[in-house]
Amino acid sequence: MEHIWDFESVFTNWRLLLIGLGNTVLLAVVCLGIGLFLGLFIGAARYSKNRLLNVPASVFVEVFRNTPALVQIMWFFFAFPIISPFRIDSFTAATLGLSLNTAAFCSEIYRAGIQSIHRGQWEAAKALGMRYGEQMRRVILPQAMRRMIPAFMNRAIELTKMTSLASVIAFGELVHQAKTISTIEFNPIETYTVVGLIFFIMIWPIAIAVRGLERRLSRHE
Amino acid sequence: MGYEWDFGVVFRDFDLLLLGLVNTLKVTGLALLFGVPLGLILALLRLSRHGVIRIPVGIVIEFLRSTPPLVQLFWLFFALPILTGINITPFIASVVTFSFQSSAFFAEVFRGGIVSIEKGQWEAAKAIGMDRGQSMRRVILPQAVKRMIPAFLERVIELMKTTTLVATVSYADLLYEANTIAQATFRPLEVFTVAAAMYFAVLFPVSLFVRRLERRLGRTGEGTVH
Repeated sequence: MEHIWDFESVFTNWRLLLIGLGNTVLLAVVCLGIGLFLGLFIGAARYSKNRLLNVPASVFVEVFRNTPALVQIMWFFFAFPIISPFRIDSFTAATLGLSLNTAAFCSEIYRAGIQSIHRGQWEAAKALGMRYGEQMRRVILPQAMRRMIPAFMNRAIELTKMTSLASVIAFGELVHQAKTISTIEFNPIETYTVVGLIFFIMIWPIAIAVRGLERRLSRHE
Repeated sequence: MGYEWDFGVVFRDFDLLLLGLVNTLKVTGLALLFGVPLGLILALLRLSRHGVIRIPVGIVIEFLRSTPPLVQLFWLFFALPILTGINITPFIASVVTFSFQSSAFFAEVFRGGIVSIEKGQWEAAKAIGMDRGQSMRRVILPQAVKRMIPAFLERVIELMKTTTLVATVSYADLLYEANTIAQATFRPLEVFTVAAAMYFAVLFPVSLFVRRLERRLGRTGEGTVH
């Protein structure tokens, strides 16, 4: 069967795609920010000696790492509003699901990064009279951060791909816009090809940068 | 506001959820069955010395890894019938998509394992008269596979989580069944919570197993690859 490719019908709808791209980037950036921030505290809580902190933190991390992101998003969209004190639209539900998912994965990256720092560094910082918070902030984290960056960038890649799940609850990101366009124009092949390429162009450079960084880090250490 | 939980409605339809879980496992299993050998082939091709093979294969792998699986699934589900004239069921579309999608990730696991083997092993195999294929089959891969197991199982976990996307093309997996029941009973909170718990019940033991395996491999001084 001969298919006549028609990319023009995609590009006449460039405004819709641009809005979708904006929403995809917005969702990814917001969730990455929240995930990185929360992840640090969850990671710290998980490896604290206080059981009141480490048990809930561990449960949180395991639940979010071992259930599918789409289930999390749908849970926050369909199930959570019943017990939620505030109204939940598709952006809020997607943000909640993806931020907490990212936080769970990031907390493990923080842990691995911090554990990779030699014990002598803690002892040295302590010997200088720093308290735990200072040791962490001034000595450990700055060194660990460098090693964690590639892993965080990988998380950013996964997260960007996961934003496409928000289309299932009708948040107007790229894939949702693609659905709309392909329904209007009857051109799913062209539309999804273009959207696939847009994702590729966004994500591939990060993937290359990660590899470059990893190579450089492994040469240094 | 007090909410009255009622898990009774979930358990009345529990057989549907179980059926969904079976379908989830079916798609995961089939995708593994095709994805793993395909991944090995892709990895070997990507390690080829000939640029005409290495570069295109590299691009395919990168493309599959750098685009959302949902886009791949929609592309295949909507585009393939138009391009080929063959009508495909949501089931076939899902299996094909996730076989390819996971093969790209498995390829990277295989490649990571293979390149982690010291050069001396290649040289030793060559010294006793093996050609490249033999060295790979008899010396390199058997050693590499052991290091790959944790990364490999991680990918299996990821794969099973990714199969939830099949619900979007109306294949009756666990998530799809949960959604149907939630709409019929107006009890989304209970239904989705139970569905999440079912995924967790399958995936968490695998996660724990991976962690133990990594610790053990780490203790015996054998590295693992990611």
